[in-house]
Amino acid sequence: MKPPDKTTSHPSRRTFLQTALGALAAEQALPAFGEAGQNSNGPQARETRLFALPQFLRPDPFGDIVHADRNAAAAGNGFQKGHRLSLECPRGTYASFHLMVQTARPGEYTLDLHLNDRSGKIQTDLYREWFHRLHSGEYYPDALVPVSAPHRSRLPEPDNKIANQSTQAFWVDIWVPADAAPGDYSGRATLQAEGRRRTLELHLKVLPAVIPAEDVVTLDHNSYGDSWIATQFPACVRATSGDFYKSDELFRLIHSYHRIFYENHGIFHQLGYSHTGRVTPEFAPALEGEGRKKRIANWNLYDRHYGPLMDGSAFAHTRRGPKPIPFAYLPINPEWPASWLWWGQPGYEAEFTRIVGEMEQHFRRNGWTQTHLEMFFNHKKRYKGFSWDGDEVRFPKDLRYFHDYGRLLKKALPADTPVRFVFRADVSWDMQQQFRNLNGVVNMWTCSGGLLSWHKGAPKMLRERGDIVWYYGGPPRVTQPSSAITEMVLRAWVWDTMGFLHWLAVSPGKDPWFNFTGGSTTLVYSGERFGLRDPIPSVRLKIQRNTVRELTLLDSFKARHGLEDLKAEATKQFNGSMPDQWWDPRPAFADKPPYDYTNADLNSATARTRKLFSNLDAAAWNRVRQSIMQLARENQ
Amino acid sequence: MTEKMTHTPEQIEQELDHIASVAAVMVDGDLCRHIVTPRALEYMFKSDPHDRFLAGDNYDVNDAQFNSAKNTLIRLSRLAPFACDVNLWMPVPGHPDKIQAVIRNVHDLSQFYVFAAIYQDLFPPMRTVLETGKRVTVRQHRGMISVLGPVYDSLGDIAGLVEVAAQPSSPAHEGHM
Repeated sequence: MKPPDKTTSHPSRRTFLQTALGALAAEQALPAFGEAGQNSNGPQARETRLFALPQFLRPDPFGDIVHADRNAAAAGNGFQKGHRLSLECPRGTYASFHLMVQTARPGEYTLDLHLNDRSGKIQTDLYREWFHRLHSGEYYPDALVPVSAPHRSRLPEPDNKIANQSTQAFWVDIWVPADAAPGDYSGRATLQAEGRRRTLELHLKVLPAVIPAEDVVTLDHNSYGDSWIATQFPACVRATSGDFYKSDELFRLIHSYHRIFYENHGIFHQLGYSHTGRVTPEFAPALEGEGRKKRIANWNLYDRHYGPLMDGSAFAHTRRGPKPIPFAYLPINPEWPASWLWWGQPGYEAEFTRIVGEMEQHFRRNGWTQTHLEMFFNHKKRYKGFSWDGDEVRFPKDLRYFHDYGRLLKKALPADTPVRFVFRADVSWDMQQQFRNLNGVVNMWTCSGGLLSWHKGAPKMLRERGDIVWYYGGPPRVTQPSSAITEMVLRAWVWDTMGFLHWLAVSPGKDPWFNFTGGSTTLVYSGERFGLRDPIPSVRLKIQRNTVRELTLLDSFKARHGLEDLKAEATKQFNGSMPDQWWDPRPAFADKPPYDYTNADLNSATARTRKLFSNLDAAAWNRVRQSIMQLARENQ
Repeated sequence: MTEKMTHTPEQIEQELDHIASVAAVMVDGDLCRHIVTPRALEYMFKSDPHDRFLAGDNYDVNDAQFNSAKNTLIRLSRLAPFACDVNLWMPVPGHPDKIQAVIRNVHDLSQFYVFAAIYQDLFPPMRTVLETGKRVTVRQHRGMISVLGPVYDSLGDIAGLVEVAAQPSSPAHEGHM
């Protein structure tokens, strides 16, 4: 543990602390935000009004704040002052807030929104927030339906079907590109309802600070196969003539999923094979022959799938601009490209090295050299396909297969290949041994967040030897405080990992609209219900995006303020903790072989960090954000 | 697999039945009994409210025996001129009403396997095979055809069974989770 006196003696940290506390004090001295802030602990008396809430206070359909965020309502005081909303934003990110329309009586309304920018660089996106009905009967906003201003509708919102709905929430994203001119911008939101017009004046201060384009942590969103796309877009499937899985429509949708994550500063993974090694055709080149005659027959489906992703053209019309995807699974598994029939025989090596070698040539010829191509084994013995665990190894005897595949991969590739093949392992039980045993074999590690919590220093050690290291978990439920998703981003940075992986981020459940299970396996939704042919984002995805951008800005100050001091201040603002508290002590049982301890042991070993985050308040990240903005003002 | 079969269901059944009859000779029942480790069997029926993955996390196999048996099953599947899997199912010692899938293969073809199940209730057609040694054809799910056939040990006892399965239009796009 770092001595506290050393930490607090850093002069730049003292400055940071003083200014951050000053900013907080100033916020707290301001009057309550608009009318909403006057009684934020209970439903408002129904009246027609237009008001704003900060992003961390999610609204419900009755003019209140959702239960999970309500304990942070006071932190929203001063967000709106009378009929004026002031925002501040560095360049290269978004200023976001909830814009609330409330009407005294059921009826029609028109909402308009604009921000003046003669250059046209600053752009405003408006989304209607869908209120998901949970089994408990509660409503939480999450899915964001893009709408255009002016937007006309009525309350209660007909398709959301909420009896007595008085309030419709809109998520506002104001995109401030890196080349926007710093300065003050003004605009206005207007509500026309019941024959009257209400206005909310907007003021945006764009700071000179520019957030680096590269995010300080990679936010990955995982998925399995692509049959779920057909399930979530049945109209697209029906409109497709012939086989949907060979259609342009499938690839358009796959690329659309990549785009929605990319635009929201994340990445997207799709695993293209099953636990028995069955490869979905559009995730691999087609093969023919056997043994020394095995070869790639064609790349048709693979190239339609991955070509625009690996050359970046799939992102040509995005705000971030075209860029190759940084990571992609390869279809390699024990049954592909070599048949497991030949394992241990010359034929296995011949088939493996021939096909992987052909793949390397194909990638090189196409200039697809920016994407890390992951040889990753997802199978587990319990699914009865193979005799060893590729994922989350618990029995050390299985590691010999990793050595075998590491050797095969090296043999298949030219030593000077410009193509970025990596050997990825997702590790939990046995990570400590694997870090040692597979040094020089595996060079991309995706670590269980729980178990990594007692391996302090491991991420830094792995990075220093040139490996890529992420940790994994899953999206927080909507019923958790809005800051829950920010904790994952912050933790990745505090731990020195290079990324975080949501193990499943595209599965909203059978009926996310009226019987929502909470969203712990999704951060996006199908837009088909709203007549859209693309996925739509969520409140949690937007909050995650804003967090990683702001964290990237904070990290950019490390040369001046010291990384460890920045971490200490961020964790303090976040939940009153120190970075050391974000690690668990190494349990005594960790000295035993991993097959001799249990999930219950693991659970007890992570009790300290779980407790640390058990009472997270919705404003946790907002406090960090205020500190970052203060630093941005100081450093401009 | 998305290939369309040119074989009639009757032809497919005939091929599968032939493979099951060959499996009765080629698959080594003694070896199959030693695939799942004693530890895996010990934890198979244990439960812990604090550890819902207890059985799965302790599931383990002897890889030499597994790979040897799987090798035979793959070879058998290649006797068919269409996509076909030969899966190995074994009784669970001490639990005569249960059955466990022990080896599955690349097309994910089975009418019985439930994803992530370590063991399952013994299906009546499987009971018939285990008790009588007769091959049984099953056409219950998704248009799939399975022929169940016995696996014998060196004493001539039935040690387990194979499920030889094919589907006229195999699903290539089911989830991989």
